[in-house]
Amino acid sequence: MLFENLLGAINEIGNFQTLAFMVIGATAGLISGAIPGFTIAMAVVLTLPFTFGMPPAQGIATMIGVFVGGLSGGLMSGILTGIPGTPSSVATTFDGFPMARTGNPGLALGLGVWASFFGGVISAVLLIAVAPQLARVGLEFQPWDYFSLVFFALTITASLAGQNLVKGLIAGALGLLIATFGEDDINGVSRFDFGIEYLQEGFGFLPVLIGLFAFSRLMTDVRDPKTATMALTDMQEVSIRIEHRRAALTVLKSWGNLLRSSLIGVFTGILPAAGSSISNVLAYDQAKKASKTPEKFGSGFADGIIAPESANNATAGGSLITMMALGIPGDIITAVMLGALLIHDVIPSPSFITEAPVLAYSIFLAFFIANFLVLGLQSGALKLFVLVTRVRMYVLAAIILAYCGIGVFALHNIVSDIWTLFIFGIVGYVLRNLGFPLAPVILGVVLGPIAEKWLSRSLAISTDVSMFFTQPWSLFFVIASVFSLLFTLYQRDRGKKPWTRFYPPALMLSLSLPIIMMGGVVRPVVGAGLIVAALYLLYRTQQDGKAAEN
Amino acid sequence: MSLPNRDTIIAIVLLFFTGVLIWASFDIRSPDYGILAPSAWPRSVLAILTVFGLIYLFQSLRTPQSQRPAEDTDAGGGLIGWFVRYRNPLWCYLIYFLFLATLPFFGTLIGGILLVFLLLSVLGGFAPKKLLLHGVIASVSMGAMWAIFTFGLRVILPRGSLFEVI
Repeated sequence: MLFENLLGAINEIGNFQTLAFMVIGATAGLISGAIPGFTIAMAVVLTLPFTFGMPPAQGIATMIGVFVGGLSGGLMSGILTGIPGTPSSVATTFDGFPMARTGNPGLALGLGVWASFFGGVISAVLLIAVAPQLARVGLEFQPWDYFSLVFFALTITASLAGQNLVKGLIAGALGLLIATFGEDDINGVSRFDFGIEYLQEGFGFLPVLIGLFAFSRLMTDVRDPKTATMALTDMQEVSIRIEHRRAALTVLKSWGNLLRSSLIGVFTGILPAAGSSISNVLAYDQAKKASKTPEKFGSGFADGIIAPESANNATAGGSLITMMALGIPGDIITAVMLGALLIHDVIPSPSFITEAPVLAYSIFLAFFIANFLVLGLQSGALKLFVLVTRVRMYVLAAIILAYCGIGVFALHNIVSDIWTLFIFGIVGYVLRNLGFPLAPVILGVVLGPIAEKWLSRSLAISTDVSMFFTQPWSLFFVIASVFSLLFTLYQRDRGKKPWTRFYPPALMLSLSLPIIMMGGVVRPVVGAGLIVAALYLLYRTQQDGKAAEN
Repeated sequence: MSLPNRDTIIAIVLLFFTGVLIWASFDIRSPDYGILAPSAWPRSVLAILTVFGLIYLFQSLRTPQSQRPAEDTDAGGGLIGWFVRYRNPLWCYLIYFLFLATLPFFGTLIGGILLVFLLLSVLGGFAPKKLLLHGVIASVSMGAMWAIFTFGLRVILPRGSLFEVI
């Protein structure tokens, strides 16, 4: 079955055209990832219009090329200028920049490139191994479980909110609301059209996405007249030769660090809302703690480059596991990819891998190939990057703004989509300036219609609302949702307020109930294990409390 | 009496917007078929948004003046200061609006070149040498984009009535 699907996938994407698109995508990702201020999400969003006319596998493969390229591209500016191209390369600058400044830029870049490659390959292997197994669980899902799963994904917005939980939740709800405008998919009834023809069709996903994310971002970039007329970085002529052989050997010698960091990356990616911007710092921190020479970190130490770079590329594989196996986006980039699948009439859900195995394995394979492509393209991209950095921000912004308009028009060939882009370009800019995070809005727009569909299906089977709490998987996700909402508060108050000590055992105890309800042999044992662990944690908490009193 | 802070005003505007949509949700037609009425999901979302809006409002009212984050006031000068501060985005939005309004006349190619040229000049300056450079950049970039979408991706971009006149 695995080989059959892989052969089908090779047939699907193993052609010159798809590989050529992947090369272009990976190069574009490398360049955009390297430019400070240009996020990977923005690069993936702007790639979408080019993929409409392509078959789904080819379109997604191109976007994966951009995604992987973007993750690797961030290291170039981080190492050479000290300014990380993307948030996922922040920790790379800690040792990459000092190493480059002490006369070893070629080795520093090489370490980053090879660590990214190995991290990506490790996560690709895990993606192929884990996602189908996880998806098997998804086959047990009933409509109630699906709805609760999507509801859980929506509560992730709380984690994406950053500093202000309420603003994040409002942003998520606004996203859900935007998706309700226009004709409803279930009954075909127009909603909130106010008698205006333009509103009867609703807002297209892509114009909303590009408007909120790219248009508003460009406006932020050109807001200050001084920075708008400046070159992207002050980097001058560079003639660096990446030391591939030495770097690859150094990375392989540090295999423990590489493996640990890659696993941290994959695990962080699987967790909804915890993306590569977290994993690279986390892996760096763990590498430093595990090192015999932690004092060397920060002074241009190889392990300090290997850890964050392998982790951030591995995160991509992790987030794809969540997207492929459960049909929920782990971060903003996978939310865009889910949207891209929807545009190609592929409905992401836990049964996706079973229902469309060739497409699913094409995505796995594309991710695997993309890592090799990026490795090969990095040297050439470095020269291109140096050229691009000489461009002034306002030139880039003006051209991209025009491209955004043409890009969204290409989806349905209607001018009203460009108006939607314009309107949401304003909405996005206003929200940004008022401190509302935009990622929850995007999640709301993507997940809103899916949630409504599963709610409708659940109620069509039974109007008994208690089913959402009596079905084991549904209850599992409802509990997970409650704890997910509280997680931001837990993070904020951890170690400061007594209630946070009860958060982990309470989560374990609560989740053990639906797991035991699932029946069979293994799951009740897992549930019992969770209860034992929770009781132990409670005992420890009590002991620590007594010790603190004394 | 101090003026309400920015968050309070946003919360009030949000609640007003939510109220308008709740009112509008009663205009949504309910067909005789289906279990879940077309208005049910939007109303649920609006109810949630109202709750969050109220929490946001109370939160903004409860936060003491001293603990509120300093609002960006580096431009100063009231409304004029605000316009000065945001002049680049405001120009961009205005030019984009004009591009969209004249799109049926100019079409994508001419309209796009004008859009890029105006954006470049407004953001980068109007010195004669720059204007020439902006003209070249606008023509080349839009020409390339137009060609890729028209011939490469086979998208029929708006031609514009200007071409018909010519």
